[in-house]
Amino acid sequence: MLTRTEALRLVLHRLAALGRELGKPELERADEQTRLFGEASALDSIGLVTLIADLEEDIRRATGRDVVLADEKAMSRLTSPFRRAGLLADHIVATLAA
Amino acid sequence: MPLAIVTGTSRGLGRALVERLLAAGWTVHGFSRQPDAWAPPGFRAHAVDVGDPVAVRAAVAAITADGATIDLLVNNAGAAAMNALLLTPPETAAELMRVNYLGAFHCLQAVGKAMVRARRGRILNVTTVAVPLALEGEAAYVASKAAVEALTRVAARELAAQGIVVAAVGLGPVDTRLTRAVGAGQLARLNQRIGRPAGTTLAEAVDFLFRHATDPELVTGSIHYLGEVA
Repeated sequence: MLTRTEALRLVLHRLAALGRELGKPELERADEQTRLFGEASALDSIGLVTLIADLEEDIRRATGRDVVLADEKAMSRLTSPFRRAGLLADHIVATLAA
Repeated sequence: MPLAIVTGTSRGLGRALVERLLAAGWTVHGFSRQPDAWAPPGFRAHAVDVGDPVAVRAAVAAITADGATIDLLVNNAGAAAMNALLLTPPETAAELMRVNYLGAFHCLQAVGKAMVRARRGRILNVTTVAVPLALEGEAAYVASKAAVEALTRVAARELAAQGIVVAAVGLGPVDTRLTRAVGAGQLARLNQRIGRPAGTTLAEAVDFLFRHATDPELVTGSIHYLGEVA
C-alpha cells in the first residue's frame, strides 16, 4: 500500500526525471495541479505513456504489487485519472486499495 | 549478454530459434503453455498461456525483477487451422484470434512497457505468407495473422520515439507439427506459389528469423516474407 503523499511523491519524482530526459524544466517543478495531457501539458501522448510505464515499475518496486494503471475502469471514467498529477496519485492509491 | 523472450518454445520453430540464440550467446526466456523441463544453460522456461494477460505480466515482471532489461521479444506462439470459411467453427476462429493475435498483443504490451522503461528494445512478430496471398481455406488463421501485421505497424509508430523497433517476419509452410496436418499436395502448391518449390526447412526458417531478430538495420514497421508473395 501507498499513502497519497507517497503516491504523489512517486508521480512528481517521475515527472521530474522525465523533464530532465525530455529537456522540459517545467516538469521538474511539477505539483499536484500539473496537467498530464492536453494542450496545457508539457507531456505529449508518448510522454504520458512513458510516465505510466515508469510509474507501474516504481509501484512494483515500492509495494511488490503488479498494477495496471490504464485499465478498463480508469479509461472509461468521466474525469480521467491521468488529467493531473494529483488525480493520478489518487488513482494509484485507489488501484492499490482495490 | 543480451536477453530475449521467445513465445511458443516447447517445440518446432520456437525451440529451434532458442537453440540458435543460445548458440549466439543470448540468455533466453521461453513461454509455453505447458511446463517445459528442457533447461540448457542460458535458458529458462516459463509456463505461460500467452492468451492470459495476467500470466504474461507476471512472467515479464519475474524476468525483470532483478533489473534485467529485455532486448528482444519474438512473438512466435501460434495456432493454425485449415477450414473452408463457411465450415469454420466459431470456436476455432475465436481460439486462433486468442492465441495468434491476443497472445502477441499481451506479450507486446507487457514487454513493451519494460522496453519503454529501458528506452530501447526490439519486437519481432511471426506472421505468414498466407496473409498477402489471401490464402483460401485459411480464413480464420489469415485474419488472426493479418491482425498481428496491423498490430506490428501501429506498435512500430507508437513505440518508435522510445527507441523500440517492431517488425514482423512471415513464413511459408515449415516442416513442423503445425503443418503436419496439411495435405502434401496442398503444401506443394503453396510452396510453388511462393517460389520455394522445395519447401522451407526448419533450419532455413530459423535462419530467416534469427537474421531479422539481430539485424541492426531492421526497419521498424517492416514486414519481411520468406518467399515471393507479390
